[in-house]
Amino acid sequence: MFDFLKQYYPVFVEGTAQTIIISIIGILIGILLGLIFVMMRLSKIKVLSYIARVYIAIVRGTPAMIQVMLIYYTLSKVLEVPQIQFLGSGLDRVIPGSIALGINSGAYTAEIFRSGIISIPKGQTEAGLSLGLSDRTTMFSIVLPQAVRNILPALGNEFISLVKESSVLFYIGVQEVTAQALGVGGTLYDFVPPLIVAALIYFVLTFILSQLMQLLEKKMGRKYLQSN
Amino acid sequence: MSAEEKIIEVDNLKKSFGENIVLKDISFNVKKSEKVVLIGPSGGGKSTLLRCLNRLEDDYEGKVLFEGENVNGASKEKLRVLRQKMGMVFQQFNLFPHKTVLENITFSPIKLKLEAPKIAVAHAHELLKQVGLSEKAAAYPQSLSGGQQQRVAIARALAMRPEVMLFDEPTSALDPEMVGDVLDVMEGLAKDGMTMIIVTHEMSFAQNIADKVLFMNDGMIADSGTAEYIFKKTNNTRTRAFLSKVM
Ligand SMILES: Nc1ncnc2c1ncn2[C@@H]1O[C@H](COP(=O)(O)OP(=O)(O)O)[C@@H](O)[C@H]1O
Ligand SMILES: [Mg+2]
Repeated sequence: MFDFLKQYYPVFVEGTAQTIIISIIGILIGILLGLIFVMMRLSKIKVLSYIARVYIAIVRGTPAMIQVMLIYYTLSKVLEVPQIQFLGSGLDRVIPGSIALGINSGAYTAEIFRSGIISIPKGQTEAGLSLGLSDRTTMFSIVLPQAVRNILPALGNEFISLVKESSVLFYIGVQEVTAQALGVGGTLYDFVPPLIVAALIYFVLTFILSQLMQLLEKKMGRKYLQSN
Repeated sequence: MSAEEKIIEVDNLKKSFGENIVLKDISFNVKKSEKVVLIGPSGGGKSTLLRCLNRLEDDYEGKVLFEGENVNGASKEKLRVLRQKMGMVFQQFNLFPHKTVLENITFSPIKLKLEAPKIAVAHAHELLKQVGLSEKAAAYPQSLSGGQQQRVAIARALAMRPEVMLFDEPTSALDPEMVGDVLDVMEGLAKDGMTMIIVTHEMSFAQNIADKVLFMNDGMIADSGTAEYIFKKTNNTRTRAFLSKVM
């Protein structure tokens, strides 16, 4: 049943590499946007908070597929990306695609950050401020490190779902692992075996990612001795 | 500086939370090295008053002057400098759980570049010795008892070399057997001449340490005077009723 792999395994390797790359870029952009938007969301400046709320609501309330296509077609009008091939796809697709993943993930990440930040007692902020620290230092050195530790499991879930959701980039022609599996299926006139291979690949990737997150949790938790 | 110099001056301070008027026209002074103790029933506005002094509570009317500088009108940068000069100790300690005892103490002076790291660490060890916790420098707060945590919190505030220390019920969250250690540290500070404003329900401690006692009730300073006056002589019926309940 899986004999086709002898011939087609390079295609799957390429697709897997592409999936890993777009996921990593998406996660990094998502973290960055999540941080920016959570700061806006919690800001005392009403306009900033409002913009963040709108962004979060729109991203959460619309399908990822439509977001990706909208971003791709919009960016391709304003952004000049050279037509360089990268792991079987044009960079003019990979770059907007990864950015779209990040924009999508940023909304969820912002909400996760927010739940973490509001779970830290106000006394922590007040202690920081009373020592003469700035709002920013208090947030980044006192509150966020504790918040991040509390939200690592939720962040892990978000990263895992991003890896799986990255398959939507298939719709804009990024040759990630789902697209490659469908391509192989087309030539074989049988979609089931290549899709099973793709599923296994996603499973292995997300499994490794969840193990890494658990390792990180242990590492960050160890310092605290008792949990709080 | 002359002993009579006012270090804190509060004039006609008013603060409300929405409809709830919490401080109604508060005025008092604190002189250098003076120990001022705030007593009174819960909900009377003691914490709010203390928090107005370093502007953890904002949006109040009236004047708070620290060494002649207007706290209420201070810019963000100025406010941060003023806060460094007013150490604050909270009922719930509020140590940073992700930092060791030593890091809790040295973080701010190093971050704010007030001291070179080496000097800040040496100072922190001195302060830990002063509060009787020399051996706990590398520990994380959760491994300490409440009384130990509060003494670290005092050391952390002292690391900023403050002019004034504000204490908001520093022993109220402690098991009774821990209270003495914290009060001893505070007495030591008082002997060294630290200016202190203390909210407390430890009446015998208050009586011993206070140069001036303010009895706060319902957002007002209902009675004030020397410890001798408040605890022994006052004719104020509210003060007497409160004291008879807590002593
Ligand atoms: N952040 C706040 N928001 C609304 N009301 C508050 C807040 N902080 C304190 N209060 C109210 O102010 C009053 C005085 O409180 P507080 O200063 O804590 O009194 P005390 O320290 O004497 O017990 C209380 O009625 C309390 O409910
Ligand atoms: Mg109080």
